[in-house]
Amino acid sequence: MTDSLTQRWMRPCTLVYGVLMGLTLITWAVGMLELQGLGVTFLVLGLALLKGHLIGDWFMGLRSVRGFWRWVIVFWLLLVGGLVGAAFWLSV
Amino acid sequence: MRQLNPLERQGEALRYPPGDLAVWIFILAELSVFAIFFAAYAFTRMQHVALFDQYQATLDRTSALYNTLALITASYFVVRAVAAIRENRAAQSRNWLWAGVGMGLLFLVIKGAEYAHHFAEGVRLSTNTFYMFYLSLTFFHFMHVILGIIVLAVLAVRTGQGHYDAASHTDIESGASYWHMVDLVWLILFPLVYVMH
Repeated sequence: MTDSLTQRWMRPCTLVYGVLMGLTLITWAVGMLELQGLGVTFLVLGLALLKGHLIGDWFMGLRSVRGFWRWVIVFWLLLVGGLVGAAFWLSV
Repeated sequence: MRQLNPLERQGEALRYPPGDLAVWIFILAELSVFAIFFAAYAFTRMQHVALFDQYQATLDRTSALYNTLALITASYFVVRAVAAIRENRAAQSRNWLWAGVGMGLLFLVIKGAEYAHHFAEGVRLSTNTFYMFYLSLTFFHFMHVILGIIVLAVLAVRTGQGHYDAASHTDIESGASYWHMVDLVWLILFPLVYVMH
């Protein structure tokens, strides 16, 4: 029901587009406010990974795929997020 | 590489991603290279935290914001182009693709202005380690945006010529997947290089 309501008023991809724009503005605001600290770093990194996941699932269409290809972008995001997160954590 | 016809795709929709599998293997290769670049940036920063933080502050975060919004919008337009051709609305699909090209060109203009500003200030690859990473990473991505724009433009022209319809549009799905990869990479690059410190 929620899906049909969403599709009636707005395509799911349009909703995802709005979320992506909103998360981007949050990331930019964190940068402009010069917020610092490991928690802020991981928040920004987490937002980036979430945005990447939305791109993979909804824009690339992987949410309807199973097996290796379903998880390929998720795996890449976890790999990049893990390496970058570890490097920033170790540099504190 | 073998392409699935629409009936096969319907049956195997859960096994393969949209588009040609060869393009997805290319996408994986590209993502691997960018992952190495990102890790190299982050681990090199460990040795030069003060330098990276100092010169990251010289970057224009607002230009980067506009660039991010332009790429996300381009990706959205490309999603709509794929949806339109699946619904056999070729003219609309062509228009969405041209809109995507427009957003891609906007990215190039903004990024080009940013480069011009840095070069006018005497910034070069050899200036310091931060700028070496900044220029190489963003320019490598810049080249991918150019390729993506060319792909989208060719697809838009061919769509306008009636080459694709609801039953046959693997090329559009393949080009769209490549463009989304370009967007995906920037969504990591933007916070990593411009914001995280």
